[in-house]
Amino acid sequence: MKQITGDLKKSVDALKKLLPAEDILTFPFSSEGGIAFTCVFADPVTDKELLGEQVVRPLSRYTGAATSSEVKKHIVSPEVRTGTELRTLADEVLAGNPVLLFEGMDEALILGTKKVFVRAIAEPSTDVTVRGPREGFIEDLKINTSLIRRRFKTEELMIETSEVGRRSKTAVALCYLEGTAKRDVIEEVKGRLEEIDVDIIPDSSYLTHFLSSRPFSLVKQVGTTEKPDIFCAKLAEGRVGLIVDGSPIALTLPYLLTEDFQSSEDYFVSAYRATFTRLLRLFALLVAIYLPAFYVAAQLFRLQLFPIKLLLTIAGAIRDIPFSPSLEMLLVLLVLEVLNEASIRMPKYVGMALSVVGALVLGETAVSAGFVSTPAIIIIAFSGIGLYAVPNLIEQTGVLRLAMLLVAGSVGTYGIVLLTGFVLFYLVTCENFGTPLVAPFSPIVGHDLKDSILKYNYGSLKTRPKTLKSPNRRRQK
Amino acid sequence: MKLSRRQIYLFLACVAPIGKLVVLPTELVREAKNDLLLPVAIHFLVQAAVIFCVLLLGRRERGLYEILEGTFGRVFAKICMVTLSLFLLLAGLVPLIEQQLFVQGVFYDTLPSVIAYAPFFVFAAYLASKPLAHMGRVWDILAPLFAVGLLGILLLSVGSADYAALLPIGASGTGFLKSTLSASVWFFDAPLLLLLLGKFEYREGMAWKGALCYLGGGLAVLFFLATFYGIFEETAINQIFAFSKTAKYFSGITVLGRIDYIFVYALALVLAFYTVLPAQCAIDGVVQAFGSPRHLQTILSAGIFLGYFVLSLVFDYSFFALLKFMTKALVYLFPVFATLIPALLLTLGRQP
Amino acid sequence: MKFRHFVKTIPMKLYIIVAAVLLFAFFSNDFGLVDIQKTAVILAAGIDRSGEDFRLTAQLAVPKGSDRTTGGTSSVEIKTEGKTVSDCITQIFTDTGWVPKLVFCNLIVLGEEAAKEDTISYLNYFLRNEYMPDSCLLAVCEGTAEKLITSQSAIDDASSLAIAKLFSDAAEKSGYVMPNTLKDFAIGYYGVSKSSYLPYLRTMPQDGAQTPSSGTQPSPQEEEQQKIYTAKHTALFSEGRMTALLSPEETLAFSLLKGKVSAGTFNAEAEGKPVTLTLLEDEGKISLQKDPTKAKLSVSVMVRFCCSGTTAPIEEISSDEVTKETLKSAEEVLKGYLSSMWEKATEGGCDLLGLRKSLYRSSLKKYAEYKNMLPHAVTPQIEVNVASMK
Repeated sequence: MKQITGDLKKSVDALKKLLPAEDILTFPFSSEGGIAFTCVFADPVTDKELLGEQVVRPLSRYTGAATSSEVKKHIVSPEVRTGTELRTLADEVLAGNPVLLFEGMDEALILGTKKVFVRAIAEPSTDVTVRGPREGFIEDLKINTSLIRRRFKTEELMIETSEVGRRSKTAVALCYLEGTAKRDVIEEVKGRLEEIDVDIIPDSSYLTHFLSSRPFSLVKQVGTTEKPDIFCAKLAEGRVGLIVDGSPIALTLPYLLTEDFQSSEDYFVSAYRATFTRLLRLFALLVAIYLPAFYVAAQLFRLQLFPIKLLLTIAGAIRDIPFSPSLEMLLVLLVLEVLNEASIRMPKYVGMALSVVGALVLGETAVSAGFVSTPAIIIIAFSGIGLYAVPNLIEQTGVLRLAMLLVAGSVGTYGIVLLTGFVLFYLVTCENFGTPLVAPFSPIVGHDLKDSILKYNYGSLKTRPKTLKSPNRRRQK
Repeated sequence: MKLSRRQIYLFLACVAPIGKLVVLPTELVREAKNDLLLPVAIHFLVQAAVIFCVLLLGRRERGLYEILEGTFGRVFAKICMVTLSLFLLLAGLVPLIEQQLFVQGVFYDTLPSVIAYAPFFVFAAYLASKPLAHMGRVWDILAPLFAVGLLGILLLSVGSADYAALLPIGASGTGFLKSTLSASVWFFDAPLLLLLLGKFEYREGMAWKGALCYLGGGLAVLFFLATFYGIFEETAINQIFAFSKTAKYFSGITVLGRIDYIFVYALALVLAFYTVLPAQCAIDGVVQAFGSPRHLQTILSAGIFLGYFVLSLVFDYSFFALLKFMTKALVYLFPVFATLIPALLLTLGRQP
Repeated sequence: MKFRHFVKTIPMKLYIIVAAVLLFAFFSNDFGLVDIQKTAVILAAGIDRSGEDFRLTAQLAVPKGSDRTTGGTSSVEIKTEGKTVSDCITQIFTDTGWVPKLVFCNLIVLGEEAAKEDTISYLNYFLRNEYMPDSCLLAVCEGTAEKLITSQSAIDDASSLAIAKLFSDAAEKSGYVMPNTLKDFAIGYYGVSKSSYLPYLRTMPQDGAQTPSSGTQPSPQEEEQQKIYTAKHTALFSEGRMTALLSPEETLAFSLLKGKVSAGTFNAEAEGKPVTLTLLEDEGKISLQKDPTKAKLSVSVMVRFCCSGTTAPIEEISSDEVTKETLKSAEEVLKGYLSSMWEKATEGGCDLLGLRKSLYRSSLKKYAEYKNMLPHAVTPQIEVNVASMK
């Protein structure tokens, strides 16, 4: 590794050679005592005002010796480090931390005057609560870790930062509670992070691929949250968390499927209400996945699934539809997906118009024109709403709904039963970080059922979930 | 992945009984008439005793092949394992075809093409290519499904049943004995358990707890059979796919449609997994005996279920001929393989 | 290396093949199955004899178009003839192109002539059919089933739906109708009693006038007139053949013995004038004595005063209590009904009360000894106890 020398010019030239980009600037200045300084910084990511205020102004009046320890004393910034290797210094410059070189010293000062672009802390749109904290993570790692630190005033909270991504060198903070999170999990997460060899990590979702035991699986294997209160609650249960610089979505491990049926609000309302809403989410999800499939299978293969009056209503409604029941349903489902995709991506002012177009033009007109039937639209509407009852699983459930529809249209109700069996087998054999995905239902962990789809009173939850194998089980006396 | 004791209990109490609820009730009525509970009770008691013995074998914490190898040597142990596997493949044929008929009768309004049942073989081949011990987790989920399904069906059915129809006891004369013999074809749970040896940790009391769980499942089957006969009486012989039939007389059905199908489908899911199990165990037996060369399990499973698929095409319209052949000609194999051999294994020397 | 790669990618290839097959099946949508758009949903079937052949009248539900918002059920009747019932059902397909589905068939009506022969000989088609619910209602009708099924109901869109209303739980509680299902009829036939019963349907013009007797031809105007239906009579069957017909009063007596009545009425006398009593609670019991040639039929009912043919002061109207004299009269009336019902059943050779079944269940030995003597050699001891609500 190349080191800097006491020759200021040579050192600056060497550094500039490593950082040839035009936005890497140098700012030479001298102190009253005649020491020549050069500050190397990345223009877009350095807070120049802070640099002038905390470094350049005090040093221009400096009359002392040209040693790094003396110079350091006159810099009014709380974050000053030293470095000698050119590569390290270049990385710091790119990260927004200016490097101060001066004549006669083979050591440079790294100044923590990074320019921070942050949006205000706001409630995440994907996880809105009526009761409970409304703070959400933002894209800045430091602010995100500060939101966590604020909730854990204990030395047990460990935040270990590392860099991932050959080019992006994205800072990733591994958070856990010492003595609460299982050591094996912490080590395995660290190991997997170290093994990652990829260009850039623009978002935390990139990491999930590397942290999953079955990376090609449709099944989600890493927990996600945008809310610090949920993140902290998960750490307190014995999980490990990851915050990625530049991403408002934090990751938690190990992940259990039941997590996504829980909302932070469940812990702020009565246990009865929480249990009811969790069951409701499960029911909504099942309806979303199975309703279109059963509707199609019943029409094609098993009419008896309908009561006679309903059957006749449906038969009347589809009488003039030119498509088979399965194709009709697939068509409506695709239209819904397209509308959904378009309404998410479109500018908000167009989105409003789009929903009108979708609801009135496509819906009403398609029915009047006899392209699709009213029951099909009602079924898909129910299904669409149900899917959003568990927003974190939309990616998976959307695909599953389509798969169910395909088997229903080709094999019938028995196809649905078989696909359910297949999914069931796949889910129960899925493990990540030694934790079964479907616990506490399979394997059955009686204790953990108290906070799964059911929600017991907080007084009953005296110990941490058994599934997570925390070394410190007790959480309340 | 190891099986837990709870998973073994759940299998015995909630998964093993499902195979006895499809065609067996009707077949029992053929000879035993209103005495249909007796053959089943006898079989459950005998199998529970054998299961007790098999679970006691579990104390040795070794797989079946290791136990056999320790006593008889490698070659004989291999022959035994292959023979047992062949028996299980044969035993698995009846559940497989009866499920096929069940699917055609219950999941469709008109008789579908035989190909409609083909996806089951894909599902089965996939399951059987995975380690047998994975099934424990599935049983964790299937057990509550079975409990809810059967309870739901019974709740909807008891109101229509006249339990006095089971009287007089002994009306079938020796018919129940004939029925006991032919019903052997459906009782091979102990040999299935043999293949699970070494995949769970034995704990004191496991043997009697397992036997009790099996008897618990048996009681549920007996109650169902009583309800079944109480509803259909003399016409019970005509009611194949018993568990899909009994709840349809519930008065709410006319208004709500076939709500009982929610429970029937739950049980059908349990049945799908149960039907694969004999072949899964058979494959595991071969893998135990010959080690696990790369992809052996996958190839075996694909081959076996391809064979089964062909047989299902052959027997689709002659299931009752197959059943007759099994219950008359091959029935004597079952007491030997399902009762005698598993029980005798306990007497084998403890050490190699 | 190549082989290893090939084996490793087998699962992925299999997934692709399975997905392709599924997609093909999905889009071709052809498993030889009959979907909703090709189906004739049979709501009811009427079976008549036509010489040596059978004549089947099927009432099919016809879906109303999506533009119809009035609700209700349209129906159309298809008539076919064939050597067997199965033959007739198949003809529906050949005549209309619709595939008949029996899964929703909730009513089978037997014409009077068809009911006089062994009914199971043709009903077994439905019993064998896995796709036909044996929970469907079974009834006999006066005249031909065709006429009944094709008649225009005054109270519902389809005659079968109007008839099904007669057999509701509420109607059964009145005691004047004894519905039966295909399954229970078959149990009676195949059981040791070899007897069963079915409600006997009659049509009446909406204005209440009686239908012309089956011998005379109705005029076209009468044919088109909307009809209402009654099922107060009960047909008795022995070995599958209709052998007797119970009157409405006898049907009430049978219902009382079965313990099914909780909202019916019947007439007694008070001071020589008719009074109507409401049945509130009913307990019926049929028991064979130690000597199986003696049977005890006992009925205990709780009644309340409903209506009398005389003008009464307001104090009397406010009371529901029935006088002792009326109770006695009521007991006599019910005894008469029971006795008459017993006689009709015995004459028809119908073990309506299941005496053979009771004996079989209680003692195989006695059953073997007495089975041929039941029910005709049995002397009934009829006990009626009528109590008043106080």
